[in-house]
Amino acid sequence: MDRQREYVVTQEDRVNFRRVLAGSLFAVLCSLSCVLLANADLRQSVGGVSDIDFHKASGSKTAPIIMEVFSDFQCPACKSFYNGTNRQLMDNYVSTGKIFLIHRDFPLPLHAYSRVAARYARAAAEIGKFEPAEQVLFQNQEKWEQTGDVDGTVASVLSATEMAKVRALVKGGTLESVIDKDYALGQGYHVNQTPTSIIHSKGQTYPVVGVVSYDILKQFLDQLLSQR
Amino acid sequence: MMQSSPLNIRRAVIWIGRLVLAGIFLYAGYAKIFLPNMTPRPPIKLALSLFAMQVDSYRLLPPAGVNFVAHTLPFAEVALGLLLLIGWRLRIWATIVTAAMLGFLAAVVRSYAIGLQINCGCFANPEPLTIKTVFRDGLLAALAVIMTIFAFIEARKPHPWAAAEKASN
Repeated sequence: MDRQREYVVTQEDRVNFRRVLAGSLFAVLCSLSCVLLANADLRQSVGGVSDIDFHKASGSKTAPIIMEVFSDFQCPACKSFYNGTNRQLMDNYVSTGKIFLIHRDFPLPLHAYSRVAARYARAAAEIGKFEPAEQVLFQNQEKWEQTGDVDGTVASVLSATEMAKVRALVKGGTLESVIDKDYALGQGYHVNQTPTSIIHSKGQTYPVVGVVSYDILKQFLDQLLSQR
Repeated sequence: MMQSSPLNIRRAVIWIGRLVLAGIFLYAGYAKIFLPNMTPRPPIKLALSLFAMQVDSYRLLPPAGVNFVAHTLPFAEVALGLLLLIGWRLRIWATIVTAAMLGFLAAVVRSYAIGLQINCGCFANPEPLTIKTVFRDGLLAALAVIMTIFAFIEARKPHPWAAAEKASN
């Protein structure tokens, strides 16, 4: 009887031990996937292009062309590119799934407020409001570059609650490192002027410097798309 | 009529100009057509479209003009480089090369003066347009002008070897 009781006790222990082991394994797996998902949400790689902030990217991740635009909010040429070429590009190539467009910050040191503007745009991106912030910053470039009132410019297109979040993010100081990361990526591509677009297609990288008219860029993109 | 010596300094300048400018034109044309810095090399059509974007960034020409320049200039550069090297009808090709160099210089000076932040588009490598580019193009344009003037002056004199042959006869 004693032996039988002993055997039953050991069996129960084993079952308990297995349960504890399975439970801990499940907990570890859950926390690991949570960490991975949290990181994956912010910065991933698409088509060999790394460090993509999806808040500042548009289009399909499976697009055959990936275009990184290194831009400075205070640069007049970037404004011209944004108002002319970029809009048509968004309508005809990004929204149709042909191009995955990534906005990269490249605040040039010669511009007094471009880094501040980049911070505000980044913060707006974090709350899903990058497009209105980008638009208002470029449209009112001549105004805020005189006064330095980037805060007021961005506030004009966001609600009070959204603006409070943006201000908190800007003050938090965490955005500086992501801006620096974009800048370093640009330096890796030998970017030294803005706007500079780096076009990736079929394993090849094509740098395009300066403002290019939509018709000429379209011709190049169509050739890239028709390549087999 | 004045005779030209084989060791004439003008002839030396013409030779230096021919070699330097021919080398630069040949390489510039080749680099635009074949993009030697890219692996794998893209097709010529794509390379010319890429060059069209560089021409367009100068904001000087309408799209049709940009396409015309982008699809003809690289081949013209190769042809002019070869013709300068060969030296046949030198005055004609030297004049055209000088006109081209002055045109490039004018475009570069204008872009630099209005503060366009673009690539020079001179060769295959992405090269920012800076004051260095302006000086380099200025020096090359000056060399082309001097070479052409000297080529016209020398053409008015009998060739030193021909003159020597005549004297010996």
